[in-house]
Amino acid sequence: MSLVHLANVCSHLQNASKARLGLTSIPSTNQLLTLSLALQSAGFLSSVTRAGLTPPPLNTNTIYEPEPVTQDNVATRRLWLGLKYWDNRAVLSEMSMVSKPTKRVWMDVESLGRIVRGREAGFVRGLTRPGECLFVSTDRGVMEARECVERRVGGMLLCRVL
Amino acid sequence: MGLVSKPPARDLFKRYDDEEKAALAKRYTPAQMEAIEAAEEAIDPDDLNERGVLRSDWGSLNYLDDFSQMQPTIDKKIKREGPVDPEERLMTPEEYAQHHKDYFMKIMEENDVPMEYDNEDKPLNADIVRPNRLDMLKSWDEVPDTIGSNGPLKSESMLAPGIPRDFESAVEDPESAKKSEEDEDPRDPDGRYDLLIKQTGLDLNTIMSYQVKILVQHRVVNQTRLGKIASVYCLAIAGNRNGRLGLGQAKGQESEDVFSNARIQAIRNMQPIPRYEERTIFGEVEGKVSAAEVKLMSRPPGFGLRCQHLIFEMARAAGIQDLAARVPRSRNKMNTIKATYEALMKQRIPDEIARGRGKKLVDVRKVYYGGRV
Repeated sequence: MSLVHLANVCSHLQNASKARLGLTSIPSTNQLLTLSLALQSAGFLSSVTRAGLTPPPLNTNTIYEPEPVTQDNVATRRLWLGLKYWDNRAVLSEMSMVSKPTKRVWMDVESLGRIVRGREAGFVRGLTRPGECLFVSTDRGVMEARECVERRVGGMLLCRVL
Repeated sequence: MGLVSKPPARDLFKRYDDEEKAALAKRYTPAQMEAIEAAEEAIDPDDLNERGVLRSDWGSLNYLDDFSQMQPTIDKKIKREGPVDPEERLMTPEEYAQHHKDYFMKIMEENDVPMEYDNEDKPLNADIVRPNRLDMLKSWDEVPDTIGSNGPLKSESMLAPGIPRDFESAVEDPESAKKSEEDEDPRDPDGRYDLLIKQTGLDLNTIMSYQVKILVQHRVVNQTRLGKIASVYCLAIAGNRNGRLGLGQAKGQESEDVFSNARIQAIRNMQPIPRYEERTIFGEVEGKVSAAEVKLMSRPPGFGLRCQHLIFEMARAAGIQDLAARVPRSRNKMNTIKATYEALMKQRIPDEIARGRGKKLVDVRKVYYGGRV
């Protein structure tokens, strides 16, 4: 699994929230989909919808039924993400890679625990800023680092989000 | 205040006595009474006592309401005791004027013109000839303003019953206030703070209690075609040692004026700074002004202020006790101070972040120690 798409998505989401967009789209891949859902459950995104090259109709997120993905339309699928703003600030304001395409970083639970407590571990800075999150790709899906520690699983560090 | 020093829990939250139970039994069925008693038993009074803590966190209101006064814009109008009079109506202006006139005439008849009455001395006459200003104020409180079916009625005052109506202080002689203003205070003989006091309503005691300090002062030069014009630049900080901090800058020829202008600007610019537990900051924050970057880090209780002198002074003025800081790049004094101020002001409050993400957040330090941290 390449991390190049993820790198682009990190930059794109930062740019989109600086531009105050309400809805934006990223490539539809399984890795990005699971990451988006993790971001949504952490409260960074308001919606995650798979649709074509045009956005899904507005205000239909709850009743919208996406087209099934077939071999014909798979190339045109995009993930449409709803961005959130609170108190005149973007909820997701910073998003940066930890693993790079040329250098992946894996981490066990003990080191993740240190990071979650704000300590440095294995050249990865701790989560010291209020509300900072680290997303980890594990064999049980993409999870927030704190959840990883709770469930005692390690994995590959994807990105830190603030 | 009863909430701070606590009597034993059972004294505060008593069980129903037999009389109260009998009163309740009149209203509720036996099954409901059983449920009420079971519920009373289920709640631990110690637990109730622990939770009655004056809140100091970010979600708390910034005032203590004492309920001794009614506020006409917020509170509901007080209803008169007893049955409602359907005929009750506001007086017409004529009727109201007539009642006032009767009230004053009565006072006039009861109080004769005193012996020391002097035709010339107008200010003296204002007070000794009844009705005077005091009677005027009392009339608002006593003359009826509505008419019911059995004659005139006085509508309920917005002041709670039992509150003394302090009309005497309202008509206090303004001349004594004038005199105290003219007095020169030895702490501020030149009257440098007079304008500030007038504009902000602060008094000199408050201003003197602030920690004001000049942190940067140096000479600056403007090159014109006529030559170099030198002036003094000064940067001051002001804080109340309890969560407010301000920066003030001034520039000019006379250094004394410049310093006092900078101090006054600093006091004027004081802003509240978010503090965690009133001792440190929220997490880690960074500020950047020009090439000066400042990174402030929160620290546990008792850590102290381990940071360079400029940041130390600012933290002390703001009332921060535990703080660590790094200034990795430029250490220009002026920009370091500005960057520190920027970092302190742009702290993100965890409660606000949680609301933005739609999460529920509880500070466990406030739960584990009975809210006493």
